[in-house]
Amino acid sequence: MTFLAVIARGLVRRPVRTGLTLVGISIGIAAVVALVGMSRGFVSSWTAGMKSRGTDIVVHNMRTSLTPKPFPAEAQERIANLPGIAATCGILVELMSVENSEMMIVSGREWGGFSWNNLKLLSGRLPSGGAERAVVLGKTAADVLEKKVGDKLQMETEELDVVGIVDGGALVENGSVILSMALLQEIMGNEGQINAIDVRVAPGTTENGMRLLCDEISRLIPEARAQVAGQHIRESQSYRMINAMSWGTSLLAVLVGVLGVMNTMLMTVFERKQEICILLALGWKRSRIVRMVLWESALLGFFGGIVGVALGVVGVHLMKQTPAIRGLLEPEMSAGLMLTSVAIAVGVGVLSGLYPAWRSSRLTPSLALQG
Amino acid sequence: MSESGAPSPAWVFEAVDLKKSYDDGQVQALRGVSFRIREGEFVAIIGPSGCGKTTLLQMLGALDRPSWGTLAYRGKSLADLPQPATYRAREIGFVFQSFHLLPTFTAVENVQIPMFETARSLPERRARADELLQAVGLEKRADHFPAKLSGGERQRVAIARSLANGPSVLLADEPTGNLDSENARHILELLSRLHREQHMTLILVTHDMSIARRASRAIQMKDGQIVFDGDPAELSALLT
Repeated sequence: MTFLAVIARGLVRRPVRTGLTLVGISIGIAAVVALVGMSRGFVSSWTAGMKSRGTDIVVHNMRTSLTPKPFPAEAQERIANLPGIAATCGILVELMSVENSEMMIVSGREWGGFSWNNLKLLSGRLPSGGAERAVVLGKTAADVLEKKVGDKLQMETEELDVVGIVDGGALVENGSVILSMALLQEIMGNEGQINAIDVRVAPGTTENGMRLLCDEISRLIPEARAQVAGQHIRESQSYRMINAMSWGTSLLAVLVGVLGVMNTMLMTVFERKQEICILLALGWKRSRIVRMVLWESALLGFFGGIVGVALGVVGVHLMKQTPAIRGLLEPEMSAGLMLTSVAIAVGVGVLSGLYPAWRSSRLTPSLALQG
Repeated sequence: MSESGAPSPAWVFEAVDLKKSYDDGQVQALRGVSFRIREGEFVAIIGPSGCGKTTLLQMLGALDRPSWGTLAYRGKSLADLPQPATYRAREIGFVFQSFHLLPTFTAVENVQIPMFETARSLPERRARADELLQAVGLEKRADHFPAKLSGGERQRVAIARSLANGPSVLLADEPTGNLDSENARHILELLSRLHREQHMTLILVTHDMSIARRASRAIQMKDGQIVFDGDPAELSALLT
């Protein structure tokens, strides 16, 4: 019999309590996996969308909102003339309620710009020109809105024709309603305003070259900021807030797990008081008793972490099917996040076991001779 | 204690004026107890409940400390032990009245418990436990949990466990207190045999004179003091 077997036997002796504690800690870890996975997925989904459009640099005015604030469209011309810029495309993007969907990405793109080029028609056609009162839908958006080519789409006070269904090569693209920028400016009352410029740099530009270009654009357009695609999402205050809220909520759930494990281990120590005294009387050192309690709580954390990761993955899978999230982001379920979650769970286990372990080390072995 | 007053290693235990009080002196469990125990002796500590015999056993096993007086093991003060757990693991075997087997471990696993504090490898621990269970006649019950063993069998497992690390002293607290007369007789014969064959010092606490008569020496306690220390037959005669 190994020491690990002694520890495992301590856990299985009260299967219901151990099971309930595992549920408590696993819910906390599931929250970490789900919420943090979703917030990270927000970044990766938007970054993938940028990549599929072939955007290297984004010029935006994203401070506190999820979508960037508008700025004058004329800025685009000034950027286009810079050396090292291959192409630019003005964008007006909004997150808004469209028919039965509470939140939908509506992407107005400069007619003829490169940001149309990645769209592969699955059915129908692209708008015939920037003035046509028509939209194309990403395939997920079409599913969510339950639209097909030939249907009408109500957006604000306008009724637009759905002329095509497209595959944009990324989740965010597929979850978007795409139309000409001029049309969206008219619908939103934002004539002459854009809120992003997609920039494609000249082939062969290095990462450092892109950073220098960003600095140059930011100097040239003081009302906006140029950043490498993806970085603008990661560094936005909105994302930071979402990320902080995800971790905050998760850690609250983890704290509940900590209290659960601590309660279980304290109960275990109280219940096994005489058993611990017998072990001390039989010659076990106090340090071994402390290790036994800490290992038991760490194992609780470990198995709680494994179950929590599984629950989190299943939960995220279910959540991303909901209309509110579908098409907006692909949660990031990376091995790194899962390992971090299990490590947090083990840490929670050890932390929760510290006080019970200390209590167990204070027991007097003479109690073994009583009763 | 030697003539000079320093503890002498010729004795396994030397106790001088041991006192133990609880609740700020309101309860006096031991009131100045002194004795010496030789290597290989079989000593029965006899007395009614509350006379201090279990308190004395706890001190011999370094489970508790006296409030006053000195207690030495082979010439070394137990109060100065840097690691009492090591002393208990290597030198002392405990047999309890209520057996105190761990319920979630089989007989052979229970016997292995004290061996975790030794350098024995996993196979060595298992082999030693098998050997000890054979010595107490329970080799066929090795994989049974305590709940599936009779009272006598449980106490035999507990005795095997107490011998796990080859102690030189066996401390038994009312080892037959929870057994019927038949099982009690078997357990006492087993303890006597182990004492003879392994030349261990056996200190047995009991309130039963018929058990004390098996010992080579009887110490009678009353109200925290030793009132008789000598031949068990003589004590038996005095009591009858």
